[in-house]
Amino acid sequence: MIKFENVSKIYPGNFAALENIDLVIEDGEFVSIVGQSGAGKSTIFKLITAEELPTEGEVIFNDKSVKSIKRRHLPYFRRNIGMIFQDFKLLPQKTAFENVAYALEVAGYTNEEIAEKVPEILDIVGMGSKAEKYPRQLSGGEQQKISIARALVHNPHVILADEPSGNLDPISTWEIMQLLLKINSLGTTVLLATHNKETVDKLRKRVIGIENGKVIRDDKTGKYII
Amino acid sequence: MKWLKLLRTFKEGGVNFYRNGSLTFVTVTVLTVSLFAISMALLLLYIANMVMIEAQNRVNISVYFKSAVEESRILEVKSKLEEYDEIKYVKYISKDQALEELVSYSTKNETIKKALDEVEENPLNSLLVIGAKSPDQYARITEAVNSSFFSEDVSNINFYDNEENIRRISNVILMTKKAGLIFGAIFVLIGILITFNTIKLTIYSHKQEFEVMRLVGASNLYIRMPFIFEGIFYGLVSGLIVVVLLFGASYLISPLTDGNIPQGNALKVFWGHIWIILGGVFGAGILLGMVSSFIAIRRYLKV
Repeated sequence: MIKFENVSKIYPGNFAALENIDLVIEDGEFVSIVGQSGAGKSTIFKLITAEELPTEGEVIFNDKSVKSIKRRHLPYFRRNIGMIFQDFKLLPQKTAFENVAYALEVAGYTNEEIAEKVPEILDIVGMGSKAEKYPRQLSGGEQQKISIARALVHNPHVILADEPSGNLDPISTWEIMQLLLKINSLGTTVLLATHNKETVDKLRKRVIGIENGKVIRDDKTGKYII
Repeated sequence: MKWLKLLRTFKEGGVNFYRNGSLTFVTVTVLTVSLFAISMALLLLYIANMVMIEAQNRVNISVYFKSAVEESRILEVKSKLEEYDEIKYVKYISKDQALEELVSYSTKNETIKKALDEVEENPLNSLLVIGAKSPDQYARITEAVNSSFFSEDVSNINFYDNEENIRRISNVILMTKKAGLIFGAIFVLIGILITFNTIKLTIYSHKQEFEVMRLVGASNLYIRMPFIFEGIFYGLVSGLIVVVLLFGASYLISPLTDGNIPQGNALKVFWGHIWIILGGVFGAGILLGMVSSFIAIRRYLKV
C-alpha cells in the first residue's frame, strides 16, 4: 500500500510542485495519474522512489515512511519498485537480455536464476526473439517492452510507469497498455502517469487528476477530464 | 554473494572496455602517452645521472712528491689521507710504476720515446692519486694537503691545472639534477591531469546510465566497481604498450650511451631494472586509471 499524508514538495525559489496531497493506493490497484506537463505527476513518482524527499508530510510505502529509509538501504528499497520511463532508459551498451538481467544481477540473483527468469519475462512481453539485440537496433515500442520486462523481472510490488507511451505510435501505445493491464491482473500495483486522454478513457480504471500540484479529482473508474 | 558481485562487476568492466571501442582507444592512447612521457623523463634523468657519476669517477687529483721523499713516508701520508671523510680512495703510484706506464704509453708516441731514451735516470716522481666523494671537495682537499704536516714533501698538485674542469663538471651535475627533477615533476603532473580529465570525460558519457542503474536498484558500489575495473584495464593495456615503447627507446639510445655509464649502455640499464620498470609502469598505470575512475565517478553517485 502507498499512502501520501498531507505531502508537499517545495523546490528552491518557493516553487510548490505538490501541495497537501492525501492519497491512498491499495495493493493490486491500477491507477492513472493524469495532468498536464508540470502538474506534479513525476514528482509523485520521485517521492515514492525516494529520489526526492517531501518538504512536508509523509510518504508511506508498505507501512514504512520513505523518509526513514537510510541512504545505504535505498538500493534494496528500490528493488520493490519497477520503473518505466518515457525515454525507456535502457543501457545502450547492453543487449536486451543483459538490460533485463542487470536488474537481477544487482539484486544478487544467481546465474541459474537469471538464465531462467530473463527468457521467461522476455517471452511474456513478446520480445523473446530480440534478446540479443542492442537498444539501437530496436524500435521505440520494442525498447519500451524491454524496459517493462526489466521493471517486472524481479517481481516488484509496484510498477511506476511515467508517460510510457509518450514516444510511441498508437498501436505500440495500446500494446504497452495491454501489457500493463496484464501485469496488474497478476496482482502487481500499477501507477501510470500520462496525459494521453484516449488511453485513460479506454482503460476504465481509477483516475487521479492533478493540477498545479493539487489533487483535483479522484474517480474510481474515471475518464480523463481536467 | 560478495564474490558473485565482484566477479560480475569485474566482467562488466571488461565488457565495457571492449564495447566502448573508440572511447577505450582514446583513453588508452592518452594514458599511454602520459605514462611514456613520465617514464621516459625518469629514465633519461637516471641515465644522465649515471653519465655524471661516471664522469665524476674519472675526475681525480694527483699529488706529486719530491724525488727525495721515501716510499714509507708517502705510504704514511696515504694512510693519513684515507682517514678523511671527503676522500673516496687514495692510490699510490711509485716512480717506477709511473715510468712503466709512461713507457708503455710511449710505444705509441715517438717524441716521448726519444725523450725517455735521452734521459738515463727515471725523471718521474712518485705520486698519490686522490679521488673525492664529490667533485666540489677537491679544492678543500688540495688546501688541506697544502697546509698539512707533509706539505714540504709535495712538489706539485695537479688540481690547479684541472680546477676549471672540475668546477664545470660539478656545476653540470648540480644543474642536471635540478632540471631533471623539475622536468620530471612537470611531466608527472601533466600526465596525471590529462589522464584524469580523459577518464572523467569517459565517465561523463555514461552519466545518464548511472541514474538508470540506481533506479533499477544497484548500490553505489555496484555501479562504481565496473568503472574502477575498467580503469585498471586501461592501466594494464597502457602499461604493456609503455614497457614495449621503453624497450624500443632504450634500444635506440643505446649506441649514444655505450661506455658512458657504469652499466654499459641504456639497453643494459633497461634489462637490469626490468622488474622495477614493470612494477613502476604497471603500478602507476593501474593506480592512475583506478584512482581517476574512482574520483570521477564519485560526483555522479550522490542520490
